[in-house]
Amino acid sequence: MEIPLAFLPENKEAKVIEVKGGRGLVRRLSELGFTPGARVKVLLSNSPGPVLVDVRGSRLGLGRGLLMKIIVDTEVNS
Amino acid sequence: MTIRVALIGNPNVGKSVIFNALTGGRAHVGNWPGKTVEKKEGICRYKGERIEVVDLPGTYSLTAHSIDELIARDYIVKEKPDVVIDIVDASNLERNLYLTLQLLELEANVVVALNKFDVAESLGYEIDVQELSRILGVPVVPTVATEGKGLRELLEAVVESAKGRKRVITVSYGKAAEELISKIEKAILKDRGLSSRYPTRWLAIKILEGDEEVLKEVERSPYKSEILEIIQ
Repeated sequence: MEIPLAFLPENKEAKVIEVKGGRGLVRRLSELGFTPGARVKVLLSNSPGPVLVDVRGSRLGLGRGLLMKIIVDTEVNS
Repeated sequence: MTIRVALIGNPNVGKSVIFNALTGGRAHVGNWPGKTVEKKEGICRYKGERIEVVDLPGTYSLTAHSIDELIARDYIVKEKPDVVIDIVDASNLERNLYLTLQLLELEANVVVALNKFDVAESLGYEIDVQELSRILGVPVVPTVATEGKGLRELLEAVVESAKGRKRVITVSYGKAAEELISKIEKAILKDRGLSSRYPTRWLAIKILEGDEEVLKEVERSPYKSEILEIIQ
């Protein structure tokens, strides 16, 4: 199932499909590790404010608005 | 002779561990002029050479997005350290090598430290160090900084590398982009000031990417219309 990363439950692994955004955002997020196929996991998302995400072995704090633009596939093994 | 060395790498690859291991207890914390992000400086001696080590902020890339990236990039471009030690997390090569590539594009004199080599091995990764060194065209040294392993070899590579730059490896971006890059490079070369301050290929790539800081530099060039015309 393809959903925005903002909707991924905590501790569930998913795979990045694409970043829906302008050139600058796509580049910036790919530098941070959000490239198609990269594995991601939401580590902490229990309060308002930034969400703690694990991508390619790095932990990043990202805003929910930004996470809406990262589309992931919850079927990791597909 | 004094060798000026900069340490750079992604966050959490063990940069500070290597910095402290190299410089011992003599490290002190300093500030960049006018900047709030701090760098650390220290001195180490190896085989009679005085090695000045600067620890740069951890960064994933060298684009002009954030102040720490810009500091790291400015230091490498403007201060031109003799050697840049790129500390790479061996257990997370794919992500880390992106920064390595950017350093090579900046034509920095790079020595790669493959840190956390023990972690990579325990994960079952087999890294062909010699082949990696051949592909990148720079020395690659496996290290386990927390145990002090590989640091002597790293210093050896640094001293050796400081004696001469011989790297010629470039990454091709395909025919269409390469044509534009060489056109832009030709225009940049007319501006002696600009082309002596920065590597021309790097400038050309950054202009194509629309890098704000580089475009500001181009704005000041007498050949700016000629350069910018190419990307219209």
